[in-house]
Formats: sequence, C-alpha cells, structure tokens
Amino acid sequence: MDRARLMLLVVALAGAAALPWIGGPFWTGLATQMMIFGLLALSVDLLLGHAGLFSLTHASFFAVSAYTVAILQVRYGWPTLAAAPAGILLGTALAALFGISVRTRGVYFILITIALGYVVWGIAHRWSSFTGGDNGVTNVPFPAVGPLAVTSHTQYYYVVLAAVILCGLGYRVLIRSPFGLGLRGVKASETRMQSLGYRTGLHIYVAFVLSGALASFAGVLYVYYNKFVNPVAASFPVSVEAALMAIVGGTGTIVGPFLGAGVVLGLRNWVSSFVEMHHAIMGAVFIATVLWAPQGLVGIAARVRARLKGRDG
Amino acid sequence: MQPHRPLIRSSVAMLAAFGIAAVAHAQSGPIKIGVLAPVTGPLATPGKDMVEGWKMFWDQAGHSAGGRKVEYVIADTTCNPDQALTQARRLVHQEKVHFMVGPLCGHEGPAVAQVSKETGVPLVMDAAGADVITKWDRTPSVVRTAVSASQIGHPWGEYMYKELGLRNVTFIGQDYTWGHEVTLGAVRTFTALGGKVAKMIWNPIGTKDYGPTIAAIPADTDGVSAVVVGPDRVRLFEAWFNFGMDKKKKIYGGYWMHQDVLPQMDDRAIGMIGNSLNYAAGLQTPENIAFTTEFAKRTKRLPSWFGESAYSAGLWTKTAIDSIKGKVEDRDAFLKAMRTVTIKGPRGPLRMDDYGNPIQNVYISKIQKIKHPVLGEVLTNVPFKTYENVSQFWTFDPKEFLARGPYKR
Amino acid sequence: MTSAILQAINGVSLAALLFLLASGFTLSFGLMRVVNMAHGAYYLIGGYVGLSIAEHTGSFALALAGGGAAVALGGFFIDRFLIRRTGENHLAQVLLTVGVAFVIGDVALQIWGGDNLMVPAPQQLKGAVVLPGGIYYPKYRFILIFLGVFVGIALWLLYKKTQIGAVVRAGVDDREQVNATGINVDRLFVMVSALASFLAGLAGVAGGAFLTLYPGAEWEILVYALVVVIVGGLGSLEGAMIGALIVGLLDAYGRWLLPEFSYFVLFGPIALLMIFRPRGLFGREH
Repeated sequence: MDRARLMLLVVALAGAAALPWIGGPFWTGLATQMMIFGLLALSVDLLLGHAGLFSLTHASFFAVSAYTVAILQVRYGWPTLAAAPAGILLGTALAALFGISVRTRGVYFILITIALGYVVWGIAHRWSSFTGGDNGVTNVPFPAVGPLAVTSHTQYYYVVLAAVILCGLGYRVLIRSPFGLGLRGVKASETRMQSLGYRTGLHIYVAFVLSGALASFAGVLYVYYNKFVNPVAASFPVSVEAALMAIVGGTGTIVGPFLGAGVVLGLRNWVSSFVEMHHAIMGAVFIATVLWAPQGLVGIAARVRARLKGRDG
Repeated sequence: MQPHRPLIRSSVAMLAAFGIAAVAHAQSGPIKIGVLAPVTGPLATPGKDMVEGWKMFWDQAGHSAGGRKVEYVIADTTCNPDQALTQARRLVHQEKVHFMVGPLCGHEGPAVAQVSKETGVPLVMDAAGADVITKWDRTPSVVRTAVSASQIGHPWGEYMYKELGLRNVTFIGQDYTWGHEVTLGAVRTFTALGGKVAKMIWNPIGTKDYGPTIAAIPADTDGVSAVVVGPDRVRLFEAWFNFGMDKKKKIYGGYWMHQDVLPQMDDRAIGMIGNSLNYAAGLQTPENIAFTTEFAKRTKRLPSWFGESAYSAGLWTKTAIDSIKGKVEDRDAFLKAMRTVTIKGPRGPLRMDDYGNPIQNVYISKIQKIKHPVLGEVLTNVPFKTYENVSQFWTFDPKEFLARGPYKR
Repeated sequence: MTSAILQAINGVSLAALLFLLASGFTLSFGLMRVVNMAHGAYYLIGGYVGLSIAEHTGSFALALAGGGAAVALGGFFIDRFLIRRTGENHLAQVLLTVGVAFVIGDVALQIWGGDNLMVPAPQQLKGAVVLPGGIYYPKYRFILIFLGVFVGIALWLLYKKTQIGAVVRAGVDDREQVNATGINVDRLFVMVSALASFLAGLAGVAGGAFLTLYPGAEWEILVYALVVVIVGGLGSLEGAMIGALIVGLLDAYGRWLLPEFSYFVLFGPIALLMIFRPRGLFGREH
C-alpha cells in the first residue's frame, strides 16, 4: 500500500471515529445504516466481483439471521452472546441449502436466486403466527455481552464500525488467499480452471456459503440497529439494492460496496426529502452506472488518478 | 439544500443535554411538528389524503396554537418501515420537532413508535392501526388519534348477527395484521352471539385474482363479509359481479369501500353495505358537512377516512396545545393534555381511553349516489346505523381482553 | 366439484395473460440473449396508455392496439439506445433494465397517480356466462383465454411456418450461422424486440381490465412471468405456453387448497426444478 492510500485510510478512519461529534445523531444513524448495508453489499460482491455470479437472494440470509436474533431475544429471552451466533448460524445454514443453485450459471443463476428469494419473503410475510407477518418482530434490545451493554446509538455506531473494519480485514485476507485467486480464475475461465484440476463447483459453493455467512452477519448488525425486523428485510428490492451498491461503488474491491451503500442510502434519504421522484433518480443512477461507469466509483477514481499521473509524468 | 450547520446543531444538542435552560428559550419560537406520511409508493393516494386533511386543518386554524406559530415538516415514509424509521430519526434529530404525527401504514407504526420510545419525543399515531400499540405494547410517549383495528371489527360482527340476521358467514380477510385484527374482531363478536364461520379465506395484500376466492365460497353460507385493502378492493368488487355472485349471495363490507376507492367502482355498488368504520364521508353533521365541503373545494374529491383522521389529529393536537398554553416542550404535559381533552371532529365526539386510544362512534354505511354541492353526482358512504362511543375493548373488560392476547389467525 | 372446475378456468385465464407477457420475454431472450427486467414496467405503462385511450375513445380494441403500439415504440428506443449497449452482459442488462423499470414506474406514478385503476372493458364483455351445471364465469376471462390462444397460435405459426420464424429459430440455435448467411440480423432483432414489447403492452391492457393497474404491479407480474419463463425454459415458445399453464394452475389451486403455503406451492417446486433442470422443461443448452 502506497503512502497516499495509507494517508487516505487514516483520514477516513479518523473521520469515521469523529463522526458522532461532528454530524450529530442523524448522520451517525445514517452512517451506521450505510456500513451495515455496505457489509451486505460486500457479501454480494464476493460472488459478483470475484466469482462473476449475480445473486438476487442475499436478502434471504440477511433476513433469516435478523429474524432469528429478534425472535430468540424478544420471545425467548436469549442473551446476545447466544442469539447473535444462532442468527449467523441459521443464515449460513440457509446459504448452504440455497448453495445448490451454484449448479447453474449466468442468467439461470440470476433467475433461480430470484425465485428462492421469493420463497423466503413469502414465508416471512405469510407465516404470521411465527414471524409476526407484516408487523414483524419488534422491541429488539441493544446488544449486551455480560456487563458490557450498548446503551445508545452512538455507542452502537462504534460497535458496527469495529465490526466492519474487522470484516474488511478478514475479507482482504480471504480474497488474497489462494482461495480468492481460485475464484477469480473461475470468473475468468471456468473450463481452464477445471482443466487445471480445480473442483470449481465446490469452490464456488464454498464462496456462496461464506458470502451467505457475511450477509447473515450484516443481518445481525441490522436487527440491533433497527430494533425490529419485518418482511421488507427479505424482499427482492433489498437484494437488488445490495447488488446495486456493490456495482455503483465498484465490484471486486472492498471499499466499493461501502461507497455504493453511501451513495444509494444517501440519495434515498436526502433526495427524498425534497424530490418526489426519487425512484426515477435511483433508476437513472442504475442506468448511468451500467453505461458510463461499469467499474463504479472506484473505477472512476482509478481513471482520474491514472490521468493525473499521466499528465505529471 | 442542506446548509452547513452540523457544528451548530451538535452544540445545540449539547446544550439541550446539559440543562433545561434551553427549554425556556425555545418557547418563544414556533412549534414544530413532524408529519410522517407515504407521499410516494403504493399507498401514495391515502398518504396524500392524509397530508391534505392535515394541511387543511392548519390553514383553517391560522397555523397557530397555544399562542405560538405552528410549523410542520412532512416526511415521506414510502410505506417502508426502514424508511419510516430513518425519516422519524431525521425529524427528531435534524428538524428538532416537538412531536410527530403519523405514520399511515400499519407496519410502519412499530418502527416509528420505536423512535418515540428511544427519544421520548411524543408520537401522535394517526392512521396506523395495529392493536398492540394501544394494548399490549404501549409506550408512554405514544397516543393514537385514529382507530385500533379490532375496534371497528367488534361492532361489525354484532351487526351481522343481530341486524342482518346472518348465521353462517364466510369471512374474506386481508392476510396481514390490520386485516387479521378487523376480521377476527368481527368473528369474535359474531360467534359469541352464536354465529357460525362457514369459511375463512385469507388473501395476501395485492392478490391479483379474486377468482379463486370467489370459487372457494361455500354454497351453504348465508352471507359474505369482506375486509380488503388497497388494489384488492376493486378486484374483489369486479370479480364478485363478473362471477355472477350478485345473483346468488350477499356480500357486505366490514372494511372495503372507502371513499378513495369509490371513483373506481360504479353504480353496481349502490345500496351495498360498504364499511363498518369510524368515519363515513356522507355523515350529516354540521362539522362533517363543513369539512367535506371545504375538502371537496380544495381537492375536487371527497375525503377518505385518512383525510378526516389527519384533520381530527390536527384539531386534537391544537386543542391539547391550547390547553397547555403552547408549552409543548413539556412533553408529559402535552401527552397528558392529549389524553384528557375532548374534541368534536367531523367524525363525531372523540376522547381518549386510559390506554391512549380514542373512544368514538362506529358507523355502518351504505353506498349511495348523492348530489354534492361542489362535486355533483358522486358515490359515497352514507351511514345508517351508529354504534356510539365504542371503546377499543368493545363491551369486554379491558383486563380480561388484555390477558387473552392479540388476535392472531 | 364446482370449485375445482372454477379454479381450473381461473388458472387457465391467468395462464393466458402470463403467456402474453412471457412469450415476448422468452423470444427476446432466445434470439437476442436479452434479459429485460423492465418487461413488467412495459406491461404497466402499456396498460395505462390503453386506459387513457379507452377513456377518450371508448374503444377497447383501440386501447389494446394503442397500448401495445406505444410500448413497442418506447421499447424500440430503450432497446436501441440502452440495452443494446450492454452487449451480452446479463449482469449489466439486469441492472440497467431494473433501472429503466424504476424510471418508467415513477413516470407512470406522476401521470396516472397511485390509485388502482381498471381499464374499462366494453359492456358486452362484462358480466358472467352461465356454464352447464349452473356455474357462473366471467365472460371477459373467456375472451382473455381466446386472446391468449389466438396469440399463441399466431406466434407458433410465425415461428414454425414462416421464413422469418425459421431465421429466428436458427438464430436461437446458432447466431453466427445466421450472421454468416447474410441475413440482416439487425432488422430481425428490431422486429422481434418490437413484437415482444407490443405483447407486453397488449398484456397490460388486457390484464389491466381485470387485475387493475397500480404502482408496484410491474414487479408482481414480472415475477410471475419470470417463473413461467424459468419453468418453460428461456427462449422456448412451447415452454412459455406450458409454463404459463403450470404457473396459472399452481397459483389457482395452491391458493384454494393450501392458502398459507401459496408462495411455497408456486416457488418451491420451481426452485427445485431449476436446480435439477436448470434449463427448464424445454430449454436448450446455450
């Protein structure tokens, strides 16, 4: 990592740490949301950016883990230390089940994940005696581990910040490992990887499950932030938006999905306070990204930097 | 559009945290109210009715209450709980509202109540009707001015048994909380009197095709009760006639043909019982005639219950603010005033019960074509049977009611 | 028994509508490898345009034609200036067309508002037909079934019996081959894409007369159409027919017999089918 990037990282971290003092509760809350959805987008991007698979079912893992935590904590009084891992475990288990969809590729994979996503949403929506139907599960407390309890949204912001940094570091290790290299190999040419002796199917399956685990973790962070969960969390738009965030920010990177989450959520919350047609604006962002910035914000930044360098040298 | 105020803002927040001194200062300024309504999205039409009713009230009241100027900020919830939550937090933290009004969509209710619970900023819940809010999951800072779902269901069940003489009813209910609570409230009073449920048919919101529902109605049923919302209302209406059911059976609306959907229906609706509801636009009281005439002038349509409800929420909050001389910074006093004042809204006399839900009339209404002075010939709900001063607990003992738990399908 | 028959007709009439929508989707995938997630939005806007035409002229036939034509025109521009630029990158296509659908949906909301509106069907088509056994069934839905069958036969003839169809079929199987024969593939693409858009708009008018039109309808109907296409196999006309029937009947019977599991009944088997037969019932290897 060169010095300029290191500096940037330090400034970003300092800014993030100071945000509650500068921005007040609203921006702190929004930033918490951005990080959580950024993490979801990052989980989608493990498949999208590294293995070339476009999943539209990640809201399922996100929601299943959020529901698990909410139900265990609220109805059965489980402590965070047991409920949160249970949430991740169940979300990951679902990913292991849905993972069989990696038998398909390309557009078939996209379509099957849409169908799977609708099954989960349908259950959350209609099995109301268990999931609470449209009302969902409410009154989820802040997380607490023994005597260490989160008591405010500002504190929770730091918890999420720490979690996201840890996830980011872990993710970095993962994608730089031989496993990550293998994934990108599959993306580039699956048949070549097969001829090299890779069991590409298994490789992608493992990536799918890992990615589901990360989405489940984001679901845990989400439910403690929102303090309720309802079927919207499992809905198709959440999956689409997560993918959009990754692409707007820049796929195949770590910062990208978070940047994308910032842009998408920022637009939605900020623009909607004075423009009625914010769906159309979101749509325009989709279109513009695909046509003019397929590499996302990260790609634009790289291009700008390359051009600057070119001029200097 | 967002001026650079974060520093000032956080220092204000710190001041507020340090002392109540700020309270005395702030009192000279305007009263700020945050209104949460779905101005876009699937429920944009009721949302706009709500906003219109609210605006109209304050226009008439001269934008002042308790000797202070009243300002309001409208935040679009898009009928999405995540968005409702974020907007509620924005209203509280950014806009620094004194209290919030809304939201409309049932599932947004708990999300916004959550923000009220966290911050102590009072929430005057308008329109969202989930029973739990004023029964099992009460929050001291939340009062409701609209209606609790099963409140309109209980009289409906009794009406079907006693007045319509039905004994074996098929219930068509919308499969979500509001639909469950209205329907099962009616089922409870209906069966308590000895009525039988021929069949329960639950349809999720947005059921495309009501053909399967019609086909599932048992032959021996002597009446059909419908609780449907949104786009489903027109589909059920059309399917009923297209399947020739009008020649075979009678269908009655427990919660079905509100004013906002009537323009999409036609003369076949005339004479049908459309609703058992806390409001009917055809109500002939001086308050309601004045209200509907003005509303029609402004919007070229008659108000739905969402419009009336927001108007009455305005009247209710203004009366409360007047009674505490504008000191809305004292949240407890404001909430206490909300719980104790009585008002006479377009829909009738209103007062709060001990659980923060209005005691109000419930009207059984028929669809009629009337000649409106502003709009000409229109279909509307004309009430013909009134259950006066209905409590959310109906005639049951509140403690016993609460002990039994929520209505669940 | 009466119920069972009624549900069967219900299923078939929904199938007819779904076929109108899914056939265009599947054809444009088959030939051009385009996954158009805006197809539902085409349906919605076509329905709205048809609604306005019907209100102004009082003619349902004009509404059908106008709704279809308006979408065919709009679809042409979207295809030419947006979708074409994504090449065969499905990921980009999905994203781009979801964006297009958002824009169309919002524009429609501004013009036609958030109410659920119903396209007025002509008086002759309203009301019920009495079938043997005293079963009442809506006349309009029979007409819809006829429309579906008619379009199905027309497409099938076009596809199997005409030279255009032969080229399209060849294009589905092997595009390079067609290119090599010197046929103007570009014009062919434009025609098929216009046809697909036209059918979506037509479906919007036809569907709008009994399912109503409202914001969000575009996604609800799209999901059903997607399922039809998945079951039948992308690019297969026969598949779209069979798929529409399966989905229509599963939906009707599922909601009647197992109301609480209706989503399961519909999506569960389809997810399974996809896993073991990813190309659908009639899909080919690509």
